[in-house]
Amino acid sequence: MHTLHGGAAGLACAAALACNGGLEPAPVPTSCPKDFVGICGTVTFQGPTPDSTDGVFIVAYPTFPRSRSELLNNFLPRPPLQSLPRPFVGSQFYTVPLPNGRYEWVLAVWQKDGLLTPTNADTLLREAGFYRDAGDTTSHGSGIVRVSGTGTDAIDFRIDFGNMHSISDYFPSSPR
Amino acid sequence: MLSPGLGTLAAQGGGVVYGTVTDTAGRGIEGVAVGIAQARLTALADSGGRYRISEVPTGRTEVRARRIGYLPGRAVVEVAAGDSARADFVLRSQPAIMQPTVVTAAKRSQLLDQSITSVAVVTDSQLARRAVSTVDEAVDKAPGVQFLNGQVNIRGSSGYVQGLGSRVLLLVDGIPANQGDRGGINWDIVPLEDVERVEIVKGAGSSLYGSAAFGGVVNVITREVAAGFHARVRATGGLYANPPHDVWAFRGRTGGHGGLDVTGSYGSETLRGSLTAGGRHSDGYREQDRRDHWETAGKAEWRPTQATRVAASGAWASDQYDVPALWCIRGQCDDRGQTYQPFMGDRSGRGMFTRSDKGYLAATVNRTSGVRLAWQARSSWLRTHFTDFQPDRDDFGVANRLGAEFRAVVQPAADRIVTAGVEGVRSDVRTNIFTGDTNPASNVVRTHAQGEVGAFAESEQRVGKLRLTTGARIDYMAVDGGALDAVVSPRVGAVLETTAGVWRASAGRGFRAPSLAERFVNTRVFGFHVIPNPALSPETAWSFELGHATSALPWARLDAALFWTEARDLIEPVFVVRDTTAQIQLQNVARARLRGLDFSLIASPFTTRLSTTLAYTLLDGRDLSRDEVLAFRPRHLLTLSADYGWKSLGVGGEFRHASRIERIELDEFFGSDPRIGSNVFDLHARLDHGPVSLRILVTNALNYIYNQVPRTLAPVRTLSAVLTWTY
Repeated sequence: MHTLHGGAAGLACAAALACNGGLEPAPVPTSCPKDFVGICGTVTFQGPTPDSTDGVFIVAYPTFPRSRSELLNNFLPRPPLQSLPRPFVGSQFYTVPLPNGRYEWVLAVWQKDGLLTPTNADTLLREAGFYRDAGDTTSHGSGIVRVSGTGTDAIDFRIDFGNMHSISDYFPSSPR
Repeated sequence: MLSPGLGTLAAQGGGVVYGTVTDTAGRGIEGVAVGIAQARLTALADSGGRYRISEVPTGRTEVRARRIGYLPGRAVVEVAAGDSARADFVLRSQPAIMQPTVVTAAKRSQLLDQSITSVAVVTDSQLARRAVSTVDEAVDKAPGVQFLNGQVNIRGSSGYVQGLGSRVLLLVDGIPANQGDRGGINWDIVPLEDVERVEIVKGAGSSLYGSAAFGGVVNVITREVAAGFHARVRATGGLYANPPHDVWAFRGRTGGHGGLDVTGSYGSETLRGSLTAGGRHSDGYREQDRRDHWETAGKAEWRPTQATRVAASGAWASDQYDVPALWCIRGQCDDRGQTYQPFMGDRSGRGMFTRSDKGYLAATVNRTSGVRLAWQARSSWLRTHFTDFQPDRDDFGVANRLGAEFRAVVQPAADRIVTAGVEGVRSDVRTNIFTGDTNPASNVVRTHAQGEVGAFAESEQRVGKLRLTTGARIDYMAVDGGALDAVVSPRVGAVLETTAGVWRASAGRGFRAPSLAERFVNTRVFGFHVIPNPALSPETAWSFELGHATSALPWARLDAALFWTEARDLIEPVFVVRDTTAQIQLQNVARARLRGLDFSLIASPFTTRLSTTLAYTLLDGRDLSRDEVLAFRPRHLLTLSADYGWKSLGVGGEFRHASRIERIELDEFFGSDPRIGSNVFDLHARLDHGPVSLRILVTNALNYIYNQVPRTLAPVRTLSAVLTWTY
């Protein structure tokens, strides 16, 4: 009967395995999760969300962009990007995975509904807010963020849907 | 008891050995082979268990008695010239693992151990034990087989590609049944009631079957129509478990499922036919998961002579089902403060449902023209029609797959068998989603077609205890009347019978032509535009296997195989960033290596009442292009099962562990989602009483909550009861 007992024991072990684990509820975090690498913080929204909103994204630039091309291409994470969760009201905690490194410009981008191309980026994208160091007074915000193997917390934003800036505010179109 | 005819002994010069063979209850056993080893003399016991062997050499003689299902008996007697000696045997019953006959691995009938590649068989008794409704539910725990959200993987062949193309070929009674447009598989095209057994051939099978047999072949074999009138009514019902946590609750009641199938058949010597019809409904186990299914299937046979059989079969199934949205993450539904809600769908996928109709008609002529030649001619028509109802645009596709084949099995010499044939397939689709258009807003309707013609031959030569197999197939393909692509798929293999078991080795090439859907898709998935790639070329692979099967113990069968597949040009979805916009495109990007070990032990220790299985697959899948683990392939797959039957009662359990999938595709989008391994435990029981049988099945009995593919909850605990009445 050893085999019979062995078989029963095997199935009992298997049942124990199946009892243990499985997905569990995961409340929205309020601080950087353990083992997370990137930036975290709180986004606070002001003003009514525009009807044509496609999404709101947090991106980071290793160096401040010097051209429209760099603005549209040199950010992390690489597309496809995940929008901050709706609704865009009140405050919410966010996490954005980023590789280790130094980031000179971390900002929130609002995107309007539509198929984004370089030619319509002025129409569809807005800078909606940025992270700045305390005491910074520059127009585009200056705040160095370092990611080093963990989550860098307290990278907070305030997004005012009534006060967003187009790409032309930073890089005016070339005169024709 | 003395046998008659002893008076002739003196004239024959030898002696006679006679006696009876009985079981432990004293009943005579018919058909026992009783033999004198030294003299190569054998007799079969009659219905009373009596035997008699004459002309036995004089002297001390060993007598042996053997019959399948019993431990062998042995006795030593002294035989004198002109005299007789008695040797009675009492044989103890011994469960035996019978070696089945398979028909898929070599496109002809052969014993399982004669196949050069691994074959798993799901028998009718295994099908009956599981109170399931579709074929995929019945085979998803076969050794080395895993389903990922309905997509079949044999030794990690397919991964998960959203149903666009399968690297496994589905056959129904040997007739290819992959969809003409998407190349995927409709597992519910044949009512499970009509299925007798399923054969799963592992590894590349393109040398006989052409495209799609890249990673293996699944052959669903339907029941023979029995002589006389027969009927069967099968009623099913059951319940889905509610979410185990209140914060995941999504409806105020318990979901259920139920259905009814009715089969009638009549058979005479020359004409036979059967018809099945039925339907079922399911509330689903998560939000937006209702499904209604209607099906009918029929089969007719005409046997004008013993050597000729003409058969026609067909089936039609219609489904209307909700398309479960990806599970919702924070902000995309009433998330109740959770980062994800596995039972609830993303708001953007609300209200989507699909109407899907599919069916096939097939006709075959089989003729055995003597002992050296048998041939089969067949033609088939598979039609699928789906409409995805979506908020912004309804997508549809109407596809046909017309196929024809002629093949012959020739035995030019006693030790050689040759299988050869030609096959043609034409697939077409009329659609507004697989159009090849690059404008995501386009709603044009286009038609695309793909033709394939192949010729194959395979020879098996027996040399002593060695069987050598060599063969090849050449396939020509053209899309929309364009240039021909040619693919050659050779295969060589050997099977060696030894006293320690059977060794097998094979090397073969597999390929899969891109489906029309993969070439011409133009749609949106997860909010991204999926763009076409008409230039896709076939993906190819070389498969190698070394296997060993042994039944050293009469109650156990062990099969182990080492496998190695080198794949090129695998078609995978990749993100393409164009003009700052991420799009998805299917590309021939991946070189991959799949290697591992496949092991199964099927045993009935002590008694035929107990049947146990241990199966394990170790898979090392590498994406050589990216130098990382291949997506959607679990490294470990373990199956344990035990069944105990006593008279009309039976109980059993089955456990399947699949290790955590280490990498997924489109991980830029889904990479941070939770992902765990699966540990699923099923329980089943049966009660037979005359023409009525009751089966109870509890799948995922411990309600293990998990997902295998991104944001898609795997089935929760489900209770099913099946009541069958058979006439």
